[in-house]
This record gives sequence, C-alpha cells and structure tokens, in this order.
Amino acid sequence: MLDVKNLIVFFENAIALNDFSFQVNDGEFVGVVGPNSAGKTTLMNTLSGLIIDMQIKEKRKGGERITVYGSIVYRGRDITQTKPSERVRRGIVLSRERHPIFPESSVLENLKIAGFLRRKQEIREGIDFAFQLFPALVALKKKKAGFLSGGEQQMLAIGMALIVKPELLLLDEPLLGLSPMMQNTLMDAIVSLNKQRGITVVLCEQFARPVFPVIDRGYILENGMLTLMGTGKELMQNPEIKAAYFGI
Amino acid sequence: MFAGTLVYAIVNSFTLILLAIGFNLTFGISGVANFAYGALYVLSAYLSWMMMNLLGLPFFPSVILSILATTLFGALMYRLVLLRVRGQALSEVIATFGIGLSILELFRYLGFVGFEYTLPVFFDHSFIIAGTYIDMQRISIVVLGFLLVVLLWLFTHHTSTGLAFRGIAQDERTALTFGIDSDWIATLSVSLGAGLAAIAATIIIPLGSISPSEGYDVLIKALAVCIIGGLGSTGGVIAAGFFIGFAERFTDTYFGSHWTMIVSLIAILIVLVIKPSGLFGQQKELEERI
Ligand SMILES: Nc1ncnc2c1ncn2[C@@H]1O[C@H](COP(=O)(O)OP(=O)(O)O)[C@@H](O)[C@H]1O
Ligand SMILES: [Mg+2]
Repeated sequence: MLDVKNLIVFFENAIALNDFSFQVNDGEFVGVVGPNSAGKTTLMNTLSGLIIDMQIKEKRKGGERITVYGSIVYRGRDITQTKPSERVRRGIVLSRERHPIFPESSVLENLKIAGFLRRKQEIREGIDFAFQLFPALVALKKKKAGFLSGGEQQMLAIGMALIVKPELLLLDEPLLGLSPMMQNTLMDAIVSLNKQRGITVVLCEQFARPVFPVIDRGYILENGMLTLMGTGKELMQNPEIKAAYFGI
Repeated sequence: MFAGTLVYAIVNSFTLILLAIGFNLTFGISGVANFAYGALYVLSAYLSWMMMNLLGLPFFPSVILSILATTLFGALMYRLVLLRVRGQALSEVIATFGIGLSILELFRYLGFVGFEYTLPVFFDHSFIIAGTYIDMQRISIVVLGFLLVVLLWLFTHHTSTGLAFRGIAQDERTALTFGIDSDWIATLSVSLGAGLAAIAATIIIPLGSISPSEGYDVLIKALAVCIIGGLGSTGGVIAAGFFIGFAERFTDTYFGSHWTMIVSLIAILIVLVIKPSGLFGQQKELEERI
C-alpha cells in the first residue's frame, strides 16, 4: 500500500530523517517506536504531506529551509510532491501529536469541521460511529473541546480523523501523557479500527510497552534512522529492546 | 432628550458594527490585518456612484455589481500581493496600507471630492420613534446590521466553509489534516471582508458623502472597535460597537460634539492599559508581555 524509499529530511542544518525506507501493506498495523526527537513527527508530516505546506510557508516568509529527498509511493502512485489536501482526499489521514482538536469549538463542531471533505450524510454517519466507538464523548458533545481532559481530547481527535474516512491512518503519539487505563481504552479502539474496519494504521510512540503487543510489524527509529524491525513478538523478545524499552 | 439619544446611540452602534465586522472577519480567520479596508469601503461606493451616474445603471444592479467587484478585488489582492508576504505581519500591514493609500489618493487626484458624490437612500421616508425624528435609512442600518450579524453567525456555525473558517482560525495545521486548504480559506476571508466593507458602504454612505478621507475614518473606526473588542472576536465587535456607539452619542448630547472623537480614543487607551487583548480577546501572550 505504502512504499517509502530513501527518505531524507533536513531542517536548515539539522537532519531529522536519514535514509528512511519502509513499507506498509494493506490492512497492516505498523508501529514506529523511538525516543524524543528521533524523527517520528517529521516522518508523519512527510507521509501526510504537511511538510510540503511547511516548506512553502517557511519559504514565503524567508524562514528555515526544509529539504526532502526520496520517494513515497501510495497505491502505485508517486505522491512525494502531492499536497496534503489531495493526500487526504486519497485516504491518507494524519492525527497530529498533542491532541489535535479545535479548543474553542464544541465536540460536535469539531467533528463537523473534520468532515470538511465529506457530505452531510457521511458526516452524520461518521459522528454516530465516533460516538459508538467512544461512548464517553456523547455526554460531552456540547462542551468546548478545550475543556476536555487529555484522554477525551485524544478520543475526539481519533473520532475526527475517522470522519475523513481514512484508508491509511497515521497516528502521531496518540498515547502521549495519558493514564495507563486511558492508554488501554484508546489502544483497544485503534486495534478494532484496524482489525474490524480494515483501516491500515501507522502509529508512532515513544514507549514500546503499549505498542508491541498489538502491532503486526514494528520499527525502531533512532536519530532519523531505522535501527531494528520485526513483528511485534520478535521485537518484544529482542534482548536489546528489552533492555532499552522495557527496562528489564 | 434621553430617548432621542438612546435611539441614535443604537443606530451609531450598528453603524460601528457594520464598519468593523468585515475587518474583524478577515483578521480572525487568516490573521491578515487588512489596512486597505477603508479604501475598499470607499472604492465600492465610488464604483456604485460611477455605475449610476456615468453609465446610467439603476440603483440595485449598481450596488450589487460594485459589492461583487469589491469582493473580487479582495480576492485578487490576496492572490497577487498578500500571498507573497504571508506570515510576515509587518509586510502584510505595509502592503495592504499601500494598496489602500493608492486607491484613496488616486480618487483624490482624479478630483472625486464634493457633496455630489453620494449614494441614494433606500426609501425616502421617516418616522417619529419615542418622540424622536428618525429616517428610514438609519432604521435600515439597524435592521441590516442585525441581519448581517445573524447571517454571519449562521454561516460560521452551519456551513461547511464557515466551519472550515473557524477551524483554520484555531489551528491552521490541524485544519490542513482534514483537507482544508489554508490559502484558499485565507483568500475567501480577505475577499469576504472586502465584500462586507462594500455592503457597509452601500448602507451607510447615503447618510453622508463619498470622499477619500472617509476611507481613513472608516479604517480608524474599524480598528478602534476591533482593538476594544479583541481582534478576531465577533462577540467583541458587537460589545465594543455598543460600548463606543453609546459612549459617543451620550457624550455628544451631554458634553458637546467636540468631545465625541476623544471618547473612543480614551476607550482604546483604557482598554489597552487594563486588558490589552481587548474585551473578548484571547491573545494571552500579548497580555503577559505588556
Ligand atoms: N521545524 C523544525 N525546525 C528545525 N528542526 C526541527 C523541526 N522539527 C523537527 N526538528 C528536528 O528534527 C528532529 C526530529 O524531530 P521530530 O520529528 O519532532 O521528532 P519526534 O517526533 O520523534 O520527537 C529533532 O532533532 C528536531 O529538533
Ligand atoms: Mg513528535
């Protein structure tokens, strides 16, 4: 489904992704785990095309230079230069890090804003589905999203991404800062989206513990480079990883 | 005297709201402070005047055409000029102010000054309300001002483009992840702001005349309302419109007309000292910095 080859991303003089290649197959759940500033967000922004928008805007105001090399092929088409709104139309949907919601709007309005590309009927169905997946949101639908807890905001953020009808869902640290219980709730929901709805998922996280048990395949990203890959099981049994990520 | 002042204060408030609402919409959504706003107001009035008096078109087609032309001018201004300096607030201000200056001074140079440059009232009729003589045009200002605020609210809360406006205003990059194109929305916001300036001119100009200096006055009034209300906040525009609108009329009645200009200036100063982000503003950093 997705074939990424030799991706290199520079910010002015810092290298964020260094010769990054990986594949994602249809229906897979892929995890990318790496420490802070490993390049996870840069990877997500490059896959979703946000980086192209950042590039244009930085250039316009004479800001930092962002350089991208390499190729991204999605369903047989090269999308390396495709702008983000077009990628969204083709089914690549990113949920950004740090609970990407619109704080001044109500929960319901957030879901409607997210449905920008969808018809009224589809938005209604999407909202129903989001409430079914996260029943906790129903009681909050009139509340301003900025007043929700981190976990509730993250549920909303995932609900919003689903309204767009993703085929490839990119999740950037959805568990960041959440309680272990909330992490489980969210992870269960994400797994069900993948297994029952057939949505292909690429998820980035800093911590391996909640990720490796549920993914099909995983990658370790360090300093912009892939250092290890394998199935979830293989990675969990890898002694280096045990030491570095599970503290055993 | 009190009742009369009250009636005129309400009219004055809606006039200010009409003058500021377009400037505020553009700023709230795309962060562009459109300093050509007053010039666009005057431009649309001159366009209507020219269509009626030079081409002999009837009133309604003329004003509709000039509102559309001004809206288009706003879009072109964004695509051709603003797009290149996007993100640099100072350059945006200089660019828009430069465009505004050129428009206004061009009309002055061409000699478009005098009392004959005005637009006709909608209905030539007047009433007595609460013992006060009031004409139909001032009533139109209140009715249309109110209607426009309601329409704008419906637009931003119940249409997909309006909701996208609010998404972009809150978090541009997140909006982008839902396929909302920020350049397109910013173009629309500048263009719609220009259209609102044109609508305001059509309703308000019949009470006075069209002149280049009107362009500067309108810009100052729009800025005053937006600064006091909190830039980008529609609730703030309404609150500040009423605040200045009432303060001006009551000062005029009880202290004399030469004090009215001072009132809004003092109001700006007080607001800037006490709450620099404006009554409804949310620019926390600004408050913390000062
Ligand atoms: N906008 C930017 N400008 C300059 N450097 C950046 C920018 N964004 C990220 N970086 C750098 O790129 C590297 C990767 O960052 P990021 O992708 O945010 O990592 P992660 O999401 O894994 O924490 C870091 O060294 C970071 O400092
Ligand atoms: Mg990150």
